[in-house]
Amino acid sequence: MLPQGLWALSLSCLASHCLAAGNLENFDELLTVRPLRDGHVTTRFLFSITQAGATPRVPDAILEEDEHRRCIAQHYSLFPLSLGQILREYAVTEVHLSLNAGKWDYGSWGMPEDLAVAGGAELWAWMGDSDRVGVDERWKGLRNALSGLFCASIGEMNEMRTTSPTYAFRPEGQLPLLFSNQTVTYQLRHASLPSEHVCTENLTPFLKLLPCKSLAGIASLLNPHRLFDADWHGMSIHVTWDELEGVKLQLSVQAVFDPVRSSTQQKRDFSFQSLFDRSISTACSVASNSKVEVALPQGVGYAITPEPLAFRDQIAVYDTSELVSEPLDISVRYPAEGSFSYPLELSSPLTDFEISRTFTGTTQSSGKLTVSIQNNRADDLQILYVETMPWLVTFYLHTLDLRVDGQKRDELMTRLKYAPPEAHGRPTLLEVELTIPASSILQVSMEVIRSFLRYTEHPPDASRGWDMPPAVFVVRNGNDSMTYGERVYTRPVLVDVATPDFSMPYNVIIMSSTLIALIFGSIFNLLTRRFVAIKVGDGNAANGDENELRNEFG
Amino acid sequence: MVQDEAVKNVSFQSDRTRRTILLSYWIVVLLAIPLWWSTTSIARLRLPEERVSNLHSRKLKFPLRATLEGGLTESVARDVEEALRRRVHELRLDGSFSVDIRSSSEGAYEVSLNADAKETHVEGRKLILGAKSLSSEDMRDIISNSLSSLWLDGFGPDQQIVQFSPRYRLAFSLMNEDTAAGGSPLGWGVQTMINREITPVLQRLSALHNFTIESQVQFFAPLAFEPVKLKDGSFGLTEEQLSVFVNSAEWTLSSSVSNDPVLHFVIFVPSANRRPLRILDADSSPTKSSAFVIPQWGSIFIYNPPQSTESHLTLSALRPAFTVFRKQLLTLLGVPSLPPGVKTSEALSDWALNALLRRRAYENAEGSKDTLSSIVSLVHQIEGMPVDKDVTEDVREALDALDKMYNIVRDSPQLALQYSARAFSRASRAFFNPGMLALLYFPPEHNLAVYTPLLAPVAVPLVAAVLREVARWRKSRR
Repeated sequence: MLPQGLWALSLSCLASHCLAAGNLENFDELLTVRPLRDGHVTTRFLFSITQAGATPRVPDAILEEDEHRRCIAQHYSLFPLSLGQILREYAVTEVHLSLNAGKWDYGSWGMPEDLAVAGGAELWAWMGDSDRVGVDERWKGLRNALSGLFCASIGEMNEMRTTSPTYAFRPEGQLPLLFSNQTVTYQLRHASLPSEHVCTENLTPFLKLLPCKSLAGIASLLNPHRLFDADWHGMSIHVTWDELEGVKLQLSVQAVFDPVRSSTQQKRDFSFQSLFDRSISTACSVASNSKVEVALPQGVGYAITPEPLAFRDQIAVYDTSELVSEPLDISVRYPAEGSFSYPLELSSPLTDFEISRTFTGTTQSSGKLTVSIQNNRADDLQILYVETMPWLVTFYLHTLDLRVDGQKRDELMTRLKYAPPEAHGRPTLLEVELTIPASSILQVSMEVIRSFLRYTEHPPDASRGWDMPPAVFVVRNGNDSMTYGERVYTRPVLVDVATPDFSMPYNVIIMSSTLIALIFGSIFNLLTRRFVAIKVGDGNAANGDENELRNEFG
Repeated sequence: MVQDEAVKNVSFQSDRTRRTILLSYWIVVLLAIPLWWSTTSIARLRLPEERVSNLHSRKLKFPLRATLEGGLTESVARDVEEALRRRVHELRLDGSFSVDIRSSSEGAYEVSLNADAKETHVEGRKLILGAKSLSSEDMRDIISNSLSSLWLDGFGPDQQIVQFSPRYRLAFSLMNEDTAAGGSPLGWGVQTMINREITPVLQRLSALHNFTIESQVQFFAPLAFEPVKLKDGSFGLTEEQLSVFVNSAEWTLSSSVSNDPVLHFVIFVPSANRRPLRILDADSSPTKSSAFVIPQWGSIFIYNPPQSTESHLTLSALRPAFTVFRKQLLTLLGVPSLPPGVKTSEALSDWALNALLRRRAYENAEGSKDTLSSIVSLVHQIEGMPVDKDVTEDVREALDALDKMYNIVRDSPQLALQYSARAFSRASRAFFNPGMLALLYFPPEHNLAVYTPLLAPVAVPLVAAVLREVARWRKSRR
């Protein structure tokens, strides 16, 4: 039997843990629909689940529980258990995961409702530091667990892709600084995997995290056939903590549809039926708030049915928590308009700045990275530029060149932080603060070299090249404050790396074997060959002894 | 002829030199073979095979010692002992138990009489017989029957019981088939019920296992089949349907963070238009029971809410479910129940706990023995299987733990269980060591095939030269 002390300890722990009051959980859902001027329609499904009063776990507690063999209890009602377990197991305070496909066109679509629109997969987490359970070990566990949960290759975001940028990824919630009289410092881990492709197998586990799955409420519109047919689609998960709200989980699905493409009359009218092939027929009874907001088109005649509950700043609001008579199928029509023609030239871009990033170069070993940033505002813009590259692309930092209208303007770069890559390991991290003069284009270019990879380091389908993570741009708010605004991602670039002939090892073996065999053969032959004298040139040779003409070559 | 002689006299042209060269080539080749063999052979360390085969002769022998008190004579003790020995023999457990019943002296268990009571109950390690109006002949039977069921019941394989693990996760789930149909509970007082019903049992079991508790509520948990509609308007689950009741594709029950075995306890609330849902027996008539156990998986309780449901499941509504869950938790963990007619005030009697300790220690010991002998025979069978240090160390540690267990089993079943658990985990780790698979997919034939372009052109002149020399030597002798 256990000693009495241990009994008492386990008993008290059991009691205190299991008696802890259940956290109040809350679930809200919101669908935002925004018709765009180029005929597209953006939709964003936001599901937020809050656990009031819950706090993230102290990292040291992971070990303590094993040491003291405490009873561990976790109770969830709306918050998904499978995600809660992961957050708890690895003591994660804040985590953001996004899986997207396509390129978000900031200029014509504006800023997205959910900022995480990086192409492919992106994961970043803030975790409390602990001497005993290292952040990197937990980061690895988190990656693998999320990989299993969402059926995505997030596990591949290893040390070769992980960085910790200083300013671009600040916590979006709060970080509890004091845990039971113990100060905790936090560390950021960020990684992206642009080659990851989001598909149905990622959406299915995502939907299972929702309290009503895809069976009721606005989530019933999430039809994978239509969603993955959209011009741009993606999903994301954000877990943050706030002192007042507790732990907050935001699950979001974004998609940009093109109703003109699917319309037979080339019209840009749309409805839930035409976009999703579904309508909302049952309400999710556990949602405390369930709303649909439709931004109304401007400058054109339109008709919206059914009648909204309320109008607010050019937004029609519907409440889907009580669906009484018939399924909700919101439709927006443009009765005066015939077939829609895509605007050839956009009047004005919707964002303050536009970015294009290209990779140039004719050889497989060197190249040039060029980024051009166009300031659309009438005043200067301060921007933080964050570039992360796997080690196989190395920057020649001394060739960093800033030009406006062909003029060299090095003074526009105010702050630079550079972490050089480590061969076969850590990636490059470059953080630069740039000032872009009013209404002009700043061109940043830099020469790079592409490394020669080891035979085993090449990915499957090596000739396709490597997808390089998108660069991140953040606008600085005001001149003196160190706070930054919304993140803007560039599109990923494809980098071509010299590839070997993959049957090479066998060729090398055959080649060297042949050489060795050849050398061996000739030396051996020389050493064991019998030399015999032959009489030549003499007249007797014609009728000479045949024996003497015997040739005994090997 | 003169020139021929001259050529012959050149030192390297002599037969002797040529034969020495040829011989030295062959010596190098022959010497290189063992080197090549040793550098390319698979590391196969020796396993302590003798110790493994000796295990079969060793048996766990649990002492069952009891003292009879309160006027029970030595002859009663002898009769009871005799009856119990017979019972052990009938169960073919002769090797595993030694029975020792005395009327005096210290024993691990006590049996005493209470002449004023009719009911039999257990208290700690004491069995108190209600001996009111009992003849001494009856008494002997009752004592030996009670002892035999307290000690020996449930010993042996049982398909329902989960495999031993030092840590289990208990997952409590409230599954609503369809919340949209209305009348479904959205919350439950699970924490209070766990504290009331489950925690006392877990505390008693903490000597064997640690537990992690989690609970969740699901609002849409559809079934994969249509329940049968009955004549009275209610719905039924046939026996076949019970076996496919858990819809693992739709119910998110699995977890990705831990490898501990999970025991599920599910309260299933049928959709409002499928109530009441009943369990049918073989004749398709509804049974009174509303719960069933899925062997080694967990337990399911079907809750049909009354007409006027609140959105929160009250404690009184949960009580029947949790009473069932407590019983089925014990069943799944292999805790033997008390024989009929024997009562106790404790959550789990010492008798049952000790019987469980013995049972688990026995299972683990048998399991580790089997695993160890499987490793030995597997290594014998597959010659290309590497055996590295990790494996031999794990095997040795398992054997050491088994030795310790055999030595301590008389004094402390508790420690014996811990040693047996360690032996079992080490033996399994050795058996599943990934290093043992490494070379199975890369056989020596493959190696040889890759290097044929080198070996064949080298071997041909070597062999040919030998043949030629032999031919020449025979010719010169003639």
